[in-house]
Amino acid sequence: MKILVCLKQVPHQDARLDVNADGSWIKEDGIKFEINSYDTFALEEALRIKDADSGSEVVVASIGPDRVTQALRTALGMGADRAVHVKDAAVEGSDSLGIARVLAAVAKEVGPDLVLMGLMSDDSNASAVPPMLAELLGIPHATAVVKVDREGSGYRVERELEGGALEVVDLPLPCLLAVQTGLNQVRYASLKGIMAAKKKPIDVKTAEDLGLAGAVGAAAAKVRIQKIYQPPKGDGAEMISGSPDEVVAKLVGKIKELGLL
Amino acid sequence: MGSILLVAEIQKGAIREASRELVTFAQKLGGDVHSLVIGSGVESLAADFAKKGGGKVYVCDDPALAGYNVDGWAKAIRAAADASGADVILISNTPSGWDVAPRVAAGLEAAFVSDAFDAKEGPVFTRRVFNGKLDAEVVPAGGKVVATVQPGAVAAFEGSTEGSTEKLSVDLSTLRAKFVETKVAEAKGVDLTKAEIIVSGGRGVGAPEKFPEVVKPLADALGGAMGASRPVVDAGWLPHEYQVGSSGQVVTPKLYIACGISGAIQHLVGMKGSNFIIAINKDADAPIFEVAQLGVVGDLFEIVPKLTEAVKAAKG
Repeated sequence: MKILVCLKQVPHQDARLDVNADGSWIKEDGIKFEINSYDTFALEEALRIKDADSGSEVVVASIGPDRVTQALRTALGMGADRAVHVKDAAVEGSDSLGIARVLAAVAKEVGPDLVLMGLMSDDSNASAVPPMLAELLGIPHATAVVKVDREGSGYRVERELEGGALEVVDLPLPCLLAVQTGLNQVRYASLKGIMAAKKKPIDVKTAEDLGLAGAVGAAAAKVRIQKIYQPPKGDGAEMISGSPDEVVAKLVGKIKELGLL
Repeated sequence: MGSILLVAEIQKGAIREASRELVTFAQKLGGDVHSLVIGSGVESLAADFAKKGGGKVYVCDDPALAGYNVDGWAKAIRAAADASGADVILISNTPSGWDVAPRVAAGLEAAFVSDAFDAKEGPVFTRRVFNGKLDAEVVPAGGKVVATVQPGAVAAFEGSTEGSTEKLSVDLSTLRAKFVETKVAEAKGVDLTKAEIIVSGGRGVGAPEKFPEVVKPLADALGGAMGASRPVVDAGWLPHEYQVGSSGQVVTPKLYIACGISGAIQHLVGMKGSNFIIAINKDADAPIFEVAQLGVVGDLFEIVPKLTEAVKAAKG
């Protein structure tokens, strides 16, 4: 089984989010980045398939500047076999479809039986790329996957619906699964794994290498962010301040006022 | 704006409320409304939707569509897009909607906007990013647009309108993904929906042992139940039955105390109906403060144990 895992490196969940000068995105200088939380579960699932079938190969792919090397090294340290890093300023400013095109070009070179990735990213929250990638590759997909089982020559998966309900779907290979968080318990890279990762290859590619010159990037994007901003506070909370004792006294007063104490 | 196609959804044998919200959303954009109803034995539901704001309703009725099927839905939406000549396709951001919409957008080479909660003519769409910490205004560059709309973001259309239905024939002979069944939610060991007071902990609680040490004592002192946000359950700190949110339990207690919960949309959906919400978080910009009535920016490990003692003292 050849598995392609698509990873995105995103600002750390606790990173300070300041809007940049033209208001189009956040300031990325000086903040920490991490592998998108959803994608870590996709990688773990791929590694579990490989653990059970040592003939499998896990290829990780990511798009972005130099910092993305760190995410790919982490993935290799966890057990992925090799990595593809699409590093090209010409890809910057791509919309979801542009990103899906880049990943589709990578997938065509890799030739996976299974594509695994996260349901959405922690920064854009769009959950757009996985179904787009499946469409561009002409393969079936499922999103919000919380359980993956081999069934016949394909996979039987459970999708998370609302209120705890689940939808069971059968997919033939090749297919793409976009996974929900909590699918599994994600491993840490071992020291041995990290040492071994240093010898594993990271193949660096440009848009032109992938035959995508002019087809991706800001100019080709069908949609752009005009403005990004702090949500209006609206009728937000009445904020109480003071020493912990003062705060607690006010909270107790309110709970009494509600008739609950 | 020219013409808009709404993709309606059926839930529990009726057109779901989110679909009637799409009618309201379409009015913000302005344009001729067409709709699509997909399913098996759904003609009367389609006729009904035509009178409730659906405009000209295309019906894709086939036994193969009795359960959600991404390939079947994508084909039906493409056929309705062609038949209606729609410039904008609106789909609710539900488990079916988010699954099929980007696929349709890629096939049409359309601009794709995900989970919009507001829109105006232009069109300009507004959506949440960074798990609710920031908002973004998104503008299509031209051409067709496929947008998913956050359920509950606008009121459902309640008026009556003149409409019509038209059958749509779609070749469903080559569906690859196969719907097997829907499993209903298992009965919960912890029924938070009946609790009058819930004290919930999030990622800010920091470690699994802090739940019995810090969160649970306050819940117990108040005579309430303990809950949690998704990251806590995903990390395996607490079982799924404690999860409050769109994929966990939707709760409406008299008092909800959120400790170290930033307020991702999927959590807010599950608790914003609470009668009174107190939020304690170290980040003053956390979205939880938008839905809370009373907010404290501070260290929950300092405040919650003191609050627990004060509650115990007040109860005597």
